[in-house]
Amino acid sequence: MAATAHSDVSGNYDEAIMAQVDNIQKEIAENQPLVSEKLEITCLQKNYSMDDFIYQAKIKDLGLNYSHVRKTRGDGNCFYRAFGFAYLEILIGNQLEYDRFKSLALHSKDELVSLGFPSFTIEDFHQVFMETIDAVGKSQSVEELLKTFQDEGLSNYIVVYLRLLTSAQLQKKSEFFENFIEGGRTVQEFRSQEVEPMAKESDQIHIIALTDALGVCVRVVYMDRGGNSVNHHDFPEDGSRPLVNLLYRPGHYDILYQKQL
Amino acid sequence: MAATRRLGKELQDIRKSGQKIFRDIQVDESNILNWQGLIVPDQPPYNKEYPFKPPKITFKTKIYHPNIDEKGQVCLPIISPENWKPATKTDQVIQALVALVHSPEPEHPLRGDLAEEYTKDRKKFMKNAEEFTKKHGDKRPSD
Repeated sequence: MAATAHSDVSGNYDEAIMAQVDNIQKEIAENQPLVSEKLEITCLQKNYSMDDFIYQAKIKDLGLNYSHVRKTRGDGNCFYRAFGFAYLEILIGNQLEYDRFKSLALHSKDELVSLGFPSFTIEDFHQVFMETIDAVGKSQSVEELLKTFQDEGLSNYIVVYLRLLTSAQLQKKSEFFENFIEGGRTVQEFRSQEVEPMAKESDQIHIIALTDALGVCVRVVYMDRGGNSVNHHDFPEDGSRPLVNLLYRPGHYDILYQKQL
Repeated sequence: MAATRRLGKELQDIRKSGQKIFRDIQVDESNILNWQGLIVPDQPPYNKEYPFKPPKITFKTKIYHPNIDEKGQVCLPIISPENWKPATKTDQVIQALVALVHSPEPEHPLRGDLAEEYTKDRKKFMKNAEEFTKKHGDKRPSD
């Protein structure tokens, strides 16, 4: 009978936790846009107390190379949203890269289907993804792109599609990726537990898979309590020039803008 | 709204398939996110965050089952908030539900007492379930 008591308790416990998580999510949604306006990099100073010397020094260090930051909502989808917005923003006015990406994006759906994703349900996500890319190609302004990314009904469709592309890449190169999966899980288990569900946070393995799938180089600048200066890591690390710069603070990604020299 | 278009098509497909296991689907005309249907055994409604959050399923008909509690709540991994994938098809959810109804999973029960009975005394479980169903069950369609 111990099992009874236990399962009843865990049932109620789960419900209480779910209600609490819902409330926290609501509060975050009310206070943080999905993607913010471009902000001066110095605004980060206000996130930490002035006597937090490590972070204050690191923000100064960050300011040597980056002038602005665009914050994303801390909802577990921040990597995909930050990457998606930053990359599409760069495609505005970069015709060569735009053409390459549009063709890749167009064909990506067939590839997902060939890998076993259900054609019918991925269609909507692909469609919103393509409509967003099409709009970028029609000399859309950054403000309009921002509106798309701030609209949950569109923004989340884009996030889902990027998650699907990430998952597909893990499957395609599962022999490579299985070496990086912790906890004795299979690639299949990892994809369905850590990649495809919404709000599951991204790790390096997700970044490696997505940047590999799209052929886009991303620089992640790490800011944590270790060391005296910020350090960065490029994905892939093959000397390609990073198109997108992201700021990583433990558990969260924002978009960085390089100083114009 | 893309979700409306998708659910409309999904509904059409399910109706067209003529399956007997999930039938008499009624959709609220003002809200396609709300479905009612008869599983031979019963029914699911969706919340407004669909497809980013999972649909919820509650049994309208009382059922004697280790994985379905007295309030009609069911623990179905495919639609748990942890596991839900926005690209999961409604039909996959229904099939998982039907599979659970047919084969209880006493390892993670919502009703421990029934799980124990199911594991230790299958005969007694079958007899109790049958009596319970006679008393509370919906009338089965004739085909």
